[in-house]
Amino acid sequence: MKSLSISNLAKTYFDPFTGSQVTAIHDISLTIDAGDFVSVVGPSGCGKTTMLNMIAGFLPASGGRIQVDGRSVSGPGPDRGVVFQSFALFPWRTVLDNVAFGPKMRGIPKAKRHEIAREYLALAGLSHAADRYPNELSGGMQQRVGVVRALANEPDVLLMDEPFASVDAQTRMTLQEELTRIWQDRRPTVLFITHDVAEAVFLANRVVVLSKGTVFGDVAVPLERPRAWSRLIEDGDFKALSAQVLQLVRAA
Amino acid sequence: MTRDADSGDGPSRWQRLRGAYVRWTARWPVLAALVPFVPVVALWALVAEAGVFPRVFFPGPMEVVRSFGRLMYNGMLPAYLEDSVVRLAAGTAVGMAIGIPLGLLVGLSDRAHRLLWPILLFFQAIGDIAWLPILLIWFGFGLTTMTFVIVYTVLFPVVLNTVLGVRSVPLELHRAARSLGASAPRVLWEVVLPGALPNIVTGLRNGLGYGWRALIAAEMIVGTSGIGFLMFDARRAGSVVEIMLGMVVLGILWYVVDSWVLAPIERATGQRWGLVTR
Repeated sequence: MKSLSISNLAKTYFDPFTGSQVTAIHDISLTIDAGDFVSVVGPSGCGKTTMLNMIAGFLPASGGRIQVDGRSVSGPGPDRGVVFQSFALFPWRTVLDNVAFGPKMRGIPKAKRHEIAREYLALAGLSHAADRYPNELSGGMQQRVGVVRALANEPDVLLMDEPFASVDAQTRMTLQEELTRIWQDRRPTVLFITHDVAEAVFLANRVVVLSKGTVFGDVAVPLERPRAWSRLIEDGDFKALSAQVLQLVRAA
Repeated sequence: MTRDADSGDGPSRWQRLRGAYVRWTARWPVLAALVPFVPVVALWALVAEAGVFPRVFFPGPMEVVRSFGRLMYNGMLPAYLEDSVVRLAAGTAVGMAIGIPLGLLVGLSDRAHRLLWPILLFFQAIGDIAWLPILLIWFGFGLTTMTFVIVYTVLFPVVLNTVLGVRSVPLELHRAARSLGASAPRVLWEVVLPGALPNIVTGLRNGLGYGWRALIAAEMIVGTSGIGFLMFDARRAGSVVEIMLGMVVLGILWYVVDSWVLAPIERATGQRWGLVTR
């Protein structure tokens, strides 16, 4: 896993209806160390999803630089794995073939890529669902597949765009705990976008608060791991950190 | 009266009959398609037997069956049927070979869409048969004219539905494939085509249906063989029974194409993936 560094990132759109430039991202600089887990929170319209889409290469940046492990990147690539809010699984592929998709694109032979996929499915407790189609799975299961599919391609950094926002509250807590477990096991470099302050603090080593297209706050989260909701929900440090981040988001 | 009172002494005769129907149609689905026609054919026979209309103008089912036997025996029906089916298959193949790539282009490229979409809608509105007058002047009475009409008819439903299918593939699926390392051509093959497939099959279904009708019409006007020609030729001879036979053959043939070709494709693709609900 490698580091991710953004410097002076900017995004302006041209609105053809008003005929004027709209600024979505003013100026963001942010460095994530290799193997670190950073959450980005902020109010709606603060530019967090636009930032992720530029890092993923889905949108061209209007200014600034994005570097993975010191190399400048533009356009999408397998070095930056993405987990989507809408899961974005391929409905015509089984769970196994969804997870094996990245290795397939790298030209890995079928037997080998299925072996890789099975290993990663086991990591998320999904071995039994390998031959099912995504539409046969619950939302929580689908997003487990989404996370595992991104990881199985062994990206340098993992970009997660509000991945748990569309599953129910109970499942969300389970998924968050599983993600911290998998992160500790594999230590990927993670950039996690969310609007949920508790989620941001629970998962990350560091929470970055965005406001109006720029970095507004940066809070270290020195909570010990492994993290579990049953313990942290009563934890004084967790509550204090969450309150601190919440104040920043509200002030933003 | 409650249900319990009914089932006190086992299933009623009606329930047994219904059970047998469900079991038999599950084993032979063709039965489920045939049974509804029993009253239709019975009514037809009744009206014919009652002599409401002169028998020559309104023959009964048995006369049509006899005519079927006669035309099968002298080889005319198999030969004409083959001509029609081969024309339709060839026209459909060409229509799809042009239509699917064109649909992918128009569906994927905004520029191509802006440029070609209005043109497609314009030519779609000029129905197949509306081309016949000018085609007859250009190509005369023959195979070229007929092939043009079928290809033209099949083309538009395929193109328009392919465009719809391509545009219905969520942007996130393109993005997911790209960030998993797929090149643009592989995204086309791995994401766009399978995503658009249920719509392409719908286009094929409509195209075949329209193409089949256009073919029969074209055969009536320019044909020297085929089911359409058979029916029109029978009119010249004043043989209502052969016209009716032609109509029955058309209906049966469509059922065969639909249930043996189209429905299995649909079951194996969109329905299985949960892209279309029944």
